[in-house]
Amino acid sequence: MTAYRLTAGGLVDRSRSLSFSFDGRPLRGFAGDTLASALIANDQILVGRSFKYHRPRGIVSAGSSEPNALVTIGSGARSDPNTKATVAELYAGLTARSQNRWPSLGVDIGAVVDLFSPFLGAGFYYKTFMRPAQLWERLYEPLIRRAAGLGRAVLERDPESYEKSWAHCDLLVVGGGPAGLMAALTAGRAGLRVILADEDFRLGGSLLSETQPIDGAPAHVFADRAVAELQALPNVTLLPRTSVFGWYDDNVFGAVERVQKHVAEPSAKLPTERVWRIVARRALLATGAEERPLVFGGNDRPGVMMAGALSTYANRYGVAAGRSVAIFTNGSAGYCTARDLSAKGIAIAAIVDSRAAAADAAPEGVRVIRSASVVDTRGRLRVSGLVVERSGFEELVACDAVGMSGGWSPVIHLACQRGAKPVWSEALSTFVAPAVGGGLRVAGSANGVYTLSGCLGDGAAKASAIASELGFKPVQDVLPATGEETDPSFTALWYAPGAKSKAFVDFQNDVHAKDLGLALREGFGHVEHAKRYTTSGMATDQGKLSNTNAVGILAGMRGVSPADVGTTTFRPFYTPVSFGALAGTARDKHAASVRKSPLHEWARKNGATFVEAGLWYRSAWFPRAGEKTWRESVDREVLNVRANVGICDVSTLGKIELFGPDAAEFLNRLYSNAMLKLPVGKARYGLMLREDGFVYDDGTVSRLAEEHFLVTTTTALAGGVMSHMEYCSQVLWPDLKIRFCSVSDQWAQIAIAGPKARSVLQQIVEDDISNAAFPFLAAGTVTLKGGLKGRLFRISFSGELAFELAVPAGFGVAVADQIMEAGHAFDICAYGVEALNVLRLEKGLPTHAEFDGRVTPDDAGLGRMVSAQKTDFIGKHLSARYGLTAADRSQLVGLKPVDKEKDIRAGAHLLREGMKPSTLNDQGWVSSACFSPVLGHHIALAFLKSGRERYGERIVVWDKLRDQEVMAEVCDPVFVDPENARMKA
Amino acid sequence: MIRDYYNRHALDEKLRGAPRPAGVNHLAIGHRQAVAMVLAHAGEEDTVQQVLSSATEFTVRFSAPGEWLVVSESDTSEGLQRRIDAFCAGRAYVVDQSEARVLFRLSGPSTHRILAKGVGLDLHPAAFATGASANALCGHIAVNLARTGDDTFELIAPRSFAESLFDDLMAMGREYDLTAAFAG
Amino acid sequence: MASLITCPHCGVRPKEEFSIRGDASLVRPAPTASDEAWHDYVYVRANPRGRTLEHWQHVAGCRRFLVVERDTFTHEVHSVTDGAVFARENGR
Repeated sequence: MTAYRLTAGGLVDRSRSLSFSFDGRPLRGFAGDTLASALIANDQILVGRSFKYHRPRGIVSAGSSEPNALVTIGSGARSDPNTKATVAELYAGLTARSQNRWPSLGVDIGAVVDLFSPFLGAGFYYKTFMRPAQLWERLYEPLIRRAAGLGRAVLERDPESYEKSWAHCDLLVVGGGPAGLMAALTAGRAGLRVILADEDFRLGGSLLSETQPIDGAPAHVFADRAVAELQALPNVTLLPRTSVFGWYDDNVFGAVERVQKHVAEPSAKLPTERVWRIVARRALLATGAEERPLVFGGNDRPGVMMAGALSTYANRYGVAAGRSVAIFTNGSAGYCTARDLSAKGIAIAAIVDSRAAAADAAPEGVRVIRSASVVDTRGRLRVSGLVVERSGFEELVACDAVGMSGGWSPVIHLACQRGAKPVWSEALSTFVAPAVGGGLRVAGSANGVYTLSGCLGDGAAKASAIASELGFKPVQDVLPATGEETDPSFTALWYAPGAKSKAFVDFQNDVHAKDLGLALREGFGHVEHAKRYTTSGMATDQGKLSNTNAVGILAGMRGVSPADVGTTTFRPFYTPVSFGALAGTARDKHAASVRKSPLHEWARKNGATFVEAGLWYRSAWFPRAGEKTWRESVDREVLNVRANVGICDVSTLGKIELFGPDAAEFLNRLYSNAMLKLPVGKARYGLMLREDGFVYDDGTVSRLAEEHFLVTTTTALAGGVMSHMEYCSQVLWPDLKIRFCSVSDQWAQIAIAGPKARSVLQQIVEDDISNAAFPFLAAGTVTLKGGLKGRLFRISFSGELAFELAVPAGFGVAVADQIMEAGHAFDICAYGVEALNVLRLEKGLPTHAEFDGRVTPDDAGLGRMVSAQKTDFIGKHLSARYGLTAADRSQLVGLKPVDKEKDIRAGAHLLREGMKPSTLNDQGWVSSACFSPVLGHHIALAFLKSGRERYGERIVVWDKLRDQEVMAEVCDPVFVDPENARMKA
Repeated sequence: MIRDYYNRHALDEKLRGAPRPAGVNHLAIGHRQAVAMVLAHAGEEDTVQQVLSSATEFTVRFSAPGEWLVVSESDTSEGLQRRIDAFCAGRAYVVDQSEARVLFRLSGPSTHRILAKGVGLDLHPAAFATGASANALCGHIAVNLARTGDDTFELIAPRSFAESLFDDLMAMGREYDLTAAFAG
Repeated sequence: MASLITCPHCGVRPKEEFSIRGDASLVRPAPTASDEAWHDYVYVRANPRGRTLEHWQHVAGCRRFLVVERDTFTHEVHSVTDGAVFARENGR
């Protein structure tokens, strides 16, 4: 045993022992542990194999910057790959597995790759796997993916639930350490609406591992008191376990809260994760600073860790990462760790200091080797010693853990996510946050303030200034008292000289210092190029530990300042966020809304099969006992409508009511045909063009009173037409005196079609609906027997005698039931949208299958609906241009297969007999097709070049998708009742 | 007179069965309220607004400039239409929306947190006080949202979306044991 | 792209409540205008870096077309005006 649990101390709850497992091995930890601290307590520092070379890797950090300790937590569908053990909260029954090793962590066959590493330098993939290109997808990529590895996503359905929530505040504080807590306290006391978010499960940040007292009490006690006060303030919301991952326009922040990632048995009432969208008037970054690793030979050996992490494990978790720890440092932080560990009774093997002289105090009796460098490490699965070089002499320092400290990098990612670049500070020897305006400010260590008193003071001062700015009166408080402090200092050391083995810069992506040199030599020295060429900083940790060092090394090699090298671009997300959390509730029935017709229950009662049409569920057909295929049902419905009568739910059509003295003029400009003189009590078919002259939508216009109209649109474009009308009335013609509103949801609308339609309807309608009293295209109010008022329209989409009856939505089912009852003696049937489609196809009526955005009114045979008299309407000018009126345009025709047994499918193209399929030879396309039960064979509507001149011609229907060719005869698109006698009967 | 026809509520299927006791956080579905859209004539917007807001017989919800939703718990749809016509005296068009809209009344101490899961508006009383109303997106669905009390909000949604909005609201409220029933 | 738009009628709203239609500076030509004028109006669009006027319809709110003056580079929104008001002020 090298690493172990200290006998006392730390903020873990030693009375609550938790069992968990790692790679199947049962282990125990305490409540308050992270998985990482519990693993270290069990002497399990080795946690994974590296991405490329399969080198053994151990826990490096104690937070979200961790590059190595990525594990899979959970099992089966609830597996979470690539979870950082350093932030995963321990819970009873947690199961964790290491990744990217085979057959086991200790013996990994992939490690032979390391022996070939001289051939696997930066850019190796690009150079080796370039040719032949076709092998990339089939061979190289799968191979590389198998070898290079992270955890595996599971294929089972994710059983977790997720949600999103909005939040609004005056001040968002990101980070709950000394600066963040003081800022939240200051703002909260002043009355601001405050949200404090911290990625840790316990608020306090560095206070939880701080050894200095505050106001005479341990720092963590101060943190707990601050949290208790904040919890009691109604204007403050605390969000622990919440990572603020993005800063977006208008000071909107994205954050993900791990609501119950840390519980063994999640509650069904709560989501696993919740994404917050936080609208903040002001925000304060109090995210602290990241300790930088040192880049030295063999620095990736398990047991080599961040010095600050060693302190955290000892102070907060009561865990020693080793029994004899060596420190390699370039500044005072290394000495601080040595003192922390020494105070806990952990032996310090030596302090290796890269600097020649320093005033920092080492613990009594600890040897300090100054002006020295670590050039290599010893050990295999665990470090056993450091090779230290000083003045040309090497010595081996035996140890079982190493703390490295290379200075500090403020965590400023959020401040740089909207385009502003970090700024190099020579004084602090690091990049600091750029000035990004008043909305987002930086406090504490994130602002380059490294003392405890400085952080507390900076947080309070920044919050106080924000409170005043927003018109709140800050309460003037005395800052908490801290002891004497000296500002931590360090002297930048980008690359420890004399490395005898690989000196890693980016642990997670296995990038070492020489890779950066190679990138520079091969012309990829620009920081953005070097990143991509070496993949430094491109792993899931996004180079939190490595980026500053990579910049420093590049600067050193190029002989310039890091300021001249600059940084790569910062983008959300700060830490990875699961797709589930980003999707939130938008899955399954919550993925998109479902719209249901007021007649849905009527259709369901009558056995409808439903089909999704946009958001709507529409009745597609109504199968009856004995019918085995949908075609049998549809054919029966069609024949029954033609012979007797049928009813169909058409409630989904868009319905818009217009009012006003200019309503007629408005409609006249909106439709291509004339609307001005439409008489009251009449309906008219209307065609809308787009401004480019192509057909937009069709529908009906009914004049209910002189200044009162009802417009219907197709189901598909109900929303689009409404917006189009709003655009025209608000933007194009704001002075027309009109008002309109959608009444789509107000009315249940029922089509009653067939030669017996009138006989059925007359039984339930009080008014006279004879052909004389209510002729074709009549529209008006009717009273149903029983007193209900409805609207009746004599319009037909089937070519049969037909009515559309609209009744207030809630009464739809009752009225439809009544019609079915009244129609029983006339053999009425319900029909769905499939039969509706066959009926309109037999009648040659175009719909959106024909109006596909490339079709002019004349193409569709509706040229007469483009008024030549009107001075203006939407689409008038461009519909007259040459290309839209040319004689060889494709025109709507009908098609009949020559062999009546053959079928035609929509999407097929048309070719002259004997011609090869090519764009040049293309004669047109089939837009809709179906089996016509009336004619007993397939029919189709198609667009054919100069089609109206070619009736009788034979044409090849070429259907490459189904690999079939059918000979068809071109004919008039109206297959049934071309004289319209039935419709007008 | 409407006598012989059953008026089916859009949520009849969802809320069928024995009514459960209302919890602390409760979703009451309006069963029989009259709703009308009032569209002011050009130039009469201000007058219509004044006239409507002076009325005590119904409540007025802002929809758009010159356009309001008027809700009555006591009138029939025809009655409400006549009443508004009388108030506005030819200055506005009135369109019956009683059948087109479903009213959801959310009440209880957690309404604010429940709604925040779907609504992007700042619902703090200082930003959206009692009496305030506006059209807004709740999840994927456009609704008219009104604050009718400290802890009470009303959402008026298009009938065809009612089932989806109901499912969404119940999911948003599961954390707070939201119950639902038709209003008494 | 802005995350929030301040609708002159409804207040501050998330961008999801809006639907963007495009260039708001275009003026619909007279029916008798030249083919070129119509071609430009229907097909030709600038892609400016900097300030631009766009129509954003508040589809989930008041359904008004708003003229949003914003910067495509900094994403700053300079003004939001009702579309009809804007049209009248610009003499349409």
